[in-house]
Amino acid sequence: MNVTRRSFLKWGSGAALLASAGCGEVPPGLLAPWFGEPEEKGPFAPPRADQVDLIAHGLNRLTFGARPGDYERVRALGLTEEEALAEFVEQQLAPERIDDARCERALRRFECLTEPLGELFEYQPGFLLQEMRRATVLRATLTRRQLAEVMVQFWSDHFNVDPSKGDCQWLKAHDDREVIRPHALGRFPALLRASALSPAMLWYLDGRVNRVEHPGDKPNENYARELLELHTLGVRSGYTQTDVMEVARCLTGWTVRSEAAFRKGRVEFNAKRHDDGAKEVLGHRLPAGGGARDLDRVLDLVALHPATARHLATKLCRRFLADTPPQSAVSAVSEAFLQSRGDLRATLRHLFLTPEFRATRGNKFKRPFHFVVSSLRATAARTDAGPALLDYLFRMGHAPFNYPTPDGYPEESLPWLGTLLWRWKFALALSENGIQGTKLQLEPLRRSLTDRAGLVAHFLGRRASSDELASCTRSGNDLGLLLASPAFQRC
Amino acid sequence: MAHTQALLSGNGDQRQTLVVVFLRGGADGLSLVPPLEDADYPKLRPRLAVSPKAAVPLDGFFGLHPLLGPLLPAYREGALAVVHATGSEDNTRSHFEAQDFMEHGGLAAGGWLGRFLQHRTGPTRGALAAVAVGRELPECLRGAPSAAVLQSLEDFAMPGSESLLRELEPLYAAERDALGQSARDTLNALRRLEGLRRAPYTPAHGAQYANDAFAQGLMQTARLIKARVGLEAASIDLGGWDSHFTQGTLIEPLMTRLANGLAAFHRDLGREMERTTVVVMTEFGRRVYENASFGTDHGRGSVMFVMGGGVKGGRVLGPWPGLKGESLDGPGDLAVVTNYRNVLAPLLARHGAAHAMDRVFPGFAPTPLDLYG
Repeated sequence: MNVTRRSFLKWGSGAALLASAGCGEVPPGLLAPWFGEPEEKGPFAPPRADQVDLIAHGLNRLTFGARPGDYERVRALGLTEEEALAEFVEQQLAPERIDDARCERALRRFECLTEPLGELFEYQPGFLLQEMRRATVLRATLTRRQLAEVMVQFWSDHFNVDPSKGDCQWLKAHDDREVIRPHALGRFPALLRASALSPAMLWYLDGRVNRVEHPGDKPNENYARELLELHTLGVRSGYTQTDVMEVARCLTGWTVRSEAAFRKGRVEFNAKRHDDGAKEVLGHRLPAGGGARDLDRVLDLVALHPATARHLATKLCRRFLADTPPQSAVSAVSEAFLQSRGDLRATLRHLFLTPEFRATRGNKFKRPFHFVVSSLRATAARTDAGPALLDYLFRMGHAPFNYPTPDGYPEESLPWLGTLLWRWKFALALSENGIQGTKLQLEPLRRSLTDRAGLVAHFLGRRASSDELASCTRSGNDLGLLLASPAFQRC
Repeated sequence: MAHTQALLSGNGDQRQTLVVVFLRGGADGLSLVPPLEDADYPKLRPRLAVSPKAAVPLDGFFGLHPLLGPLLPAYREGALAVVHATGSEDNTRSHFEAQDFMEHGGLAAGGWLGRFLQHRTGPTRGALAAVAVGRELPECLRGAPSAAVLQSLEDFAMPGSESLLRELEPLYAAERDALGQSARDTLNALRRLEGLRRAPYTPAHGAQYANDAFAQGLMQTARLIKARVGLEAASIDLGGWDSHFTQGTLIEPLMTRLANGLAAFHRDLGREMERTTVVVMTEFGRRVYENASFGTDHGRGSVMFVMGGGVKGGRVLGPWPGLKGESLDGPGDLAVVTNYRNVLAPLLARHGAAHAMDRVFPGFAPTPLDLYG
């Protein structure tokens, strides 16, 4: 590690330079060369069916889009499409066994994101946030552990923390690294507990100021409410306003050290601020004197509650199946969640095995992040994921770590339908190499996919119709047209 | 230019425009329009109450927060009405549920603004009939015959893409769902704005818009209204009102933005304000008593503002339920006395939906508030 550069960045001069250059022009030598060249040159066999087949479907849903060669590689995993998809699911459910050295190498330079909690505070927050956004786009573009990354995004929305609030500007980096990522394919109760005790979450939803210290102090209900409504049981699942207030009482006293002094950012329990009386949550009596253990008693009541299973199953099915998922699939996934005691791998394996998963192909509208990253992946574009690229995500309202409220970016299509103009602009700019810091190499890409029919099939996950082929020819910019086409907006 | 103007305006020349401002996060009506003469107010808000000395007096009972002072001229000249103790019947005290309920206009599919646009007399269905200023389509516009999302007119252009767009059009025309409709709206809006975006914009009557996103959004709206592109509804959000913690520092800058933005818009539009109605709403108010962190938790009743469009302003409307224990709602919240739909119904009627109120607000029989005197 280059110590000079490290201290340079840490003390903010780097960030000042970034800021002073307007839209974040970066001094030469500070940033990596571009990432994302194709690993192999091909030629690759594209999809051949007239409709999206199981392989293309699996790539659409378990990943942020197919890179050149992905289809051929996954197809070769089994004799039949069914076997190949099943094997791909198993591989993706065990990311620790997937060699991801190439992606890790590319991300090594985001060293600030690996700093211990206390040292994160030494960075300029704008710089830290920019690095987090870049790293997130790059990882989604490059990692071979695609499903894990898809689930990281899922939980980042589920446990959304907006870095623009107070110390979250530093603490979100810790939350992403220590809460979301380690548990993304782990067990839900552990993820929930990590989130409840995440300094970022304690800041974001005011848990750190939830206290009963003097007679008459009222607890701060913010986190308690979202814990029940968004993180676990789901709204209208039977809990009451009294339950919210009782949960808030249970969680009084947990806080984050925020003085500029020693161990800033550390989470601790302050018994003097805890309301230690008896409580009643969801019909369960919690005797007085529980102290810090009240938190675990509350989480135990909600983490594997049937309403939580239903709520999470609905959200997972919305992500992987359809905006309005079939109730049969939701029930099956909910059952798998309960049976496995919140094991997310078992739950997801079950989801991908449902007949409903196979049946709902090509019906999902990609969210803008998915659209942008799938474009980069499909074209094997090299990118620094710098400000020019991120600007498109801001324009479409889907930049990482930029959602203000705790419900996270919406999954369903409606709120994103207004983004077409910016999708088309992005398609045009990418195809013409008009995005600073991002570059695709058209001729090698074409060669790797044999001919225009192969190129089109690679982008659409199926053979092109004669209309689509004719349009590509007439447009004079087949790549731009494919990226902007309705078929590429779906997955 | 005359040709461009005609092309842009289409048949939308005499359209009235409804501008919906949503204060997301649950804005504290008791700070925006404090009940200065309610003896319980300073008792329940020992640290957060607006003092009568600082407040801008309105009608002898209510005042405006001093930071909302820029709204006083509109109030004095009768263009601005305040409605207090308003909200919806949703009592989940959840931002998402309450916003959802309010934007849907009850337990209905689609949004109330969308249904209004669909059912009003002689809908234009023009590419720019409905505009969401910002980055996404709000729920209230769901189901609108067409809706464009834009941050500024300059955004709405795609130079050098003629042949690409020509090929995209038939591909999207084959899409029979909302995606196809959205593509058609986008292509139409692109064409209609092509001329308009070249002309520079100078606000009228010396109006000065601040540089924040809210004021700039209002300026873009004024620009579209004056260009007569057939704009019938615009929605714009001002978020961040969720003041659980150190309420003042959170909402004071927002109040400044709200007041300056609306004041500039009012001034800029001048006589055009007659055919323009601005309504300001929020999903719920805050708890009456303060919490231990100088903030307030989710409550019920809050305040709405209605400006322009022939409203008989200079009044604070709606019965006041008071802040005594027995009149508070649930854990200690200002009661909702005037349902928000009773505020919207009369102004939607004025904007051409009088005959369709049962479709705009299904399952709700409005008792329209006397907005027009």
